[in-house]
Amino acid sequence: MTMTTTGTTPAPARREGVGRAVRSIAPRVDIYETDTQYVVLADMPGVTSDGLDVVAERDSLVIHGRVEHAAATADYQEFELADYHRAFTLTEDLETDGVTARLQDGVLRVEIPKSPRVQPKKIPVRTE
Amino acid sequence: MNTRSIWDPWQDMRRLQREMEHLFGDVAPARHWPLTGEYPPLNIVRADGGLTVEALCPGVDRSTFDVTVIGDALTIRCERKPSADVPAERYHRRERPVGAFTRTVAVGERFDSERTQATYMNGILRVALSRAPEAAPKKIAIQS
Repeated sequence: MTMTTTGTTPAPARREGVGRAVRSIAPRVDIYETDTQYVVLADMPGVTSDGLDVVAERDSLVIHGRVEHAAATADYQEFELADYHRAFTLTEDLETDGVTARLQDGVLRVEIPKSPRVQPKKIPVRTE
Repeated sequence: MNTRSIWDPWQDMRRLQREMEHLFGDVAPARHWPLTGEYPPLNIVRADGGLTVEALCPGVDRSTFDVTVIGDALTIRCERKPSADVPAERYHRRERPVGAFTRTVAVGERFDSERTQATYMNGILRVALSRAPEAAPKKIAIQS
């Protein structure tokens, strides 16, 4: 699996009730593979399952999360919640039909199975 | 208590960083914590009876949370553990920070530790601090 930046898939700006445009930011991710699948972990704090979209197509995986913006203004502020958006390019050796996604404690976990033809096969060794 | 009285030399840098995130959010992974490297990043919201401290810390192992209030100081300790049994050579990208983190913030006012409540939902820790009775504002009668 390779990755594109969301710059190639422009994140939609949306407008809040107060008229302020809110842009999306790309969540930090870990990507690792096992013998049978790729796993994407994305930090998306503030996102609930209702506000999460995970779209897997033939050659792309797009994750998008919407956050509820706080009604109260912080008196001291080190972070600001924003919607999340990131796109990945998938190679042909992945089974997009079997993609699963789970959101827990602000971390999205997406599992993408590898095609059986690229999974490692143990070759029995015959002794003579 | 006035949280604006907390002097923070990095405040302007954080504001600049947030503006940069909005400008370049499409092309760079999110940086949710200050340039100082402090983690987790905190927001503080005042209310009538006290204040709420919010910490942005997704994916924390709940058993590692340690929230303590001593006097006017709130300390948050937590740990983000890496995925178990995944060797380093299996990773294609590692952008998410892991490790044990500690933040202490002094808010300049005493709070009642017995009435402190903490919740962790959707990757955000919220600690609600109630003002200590002796620190509550008292109306002073004016004698004529």
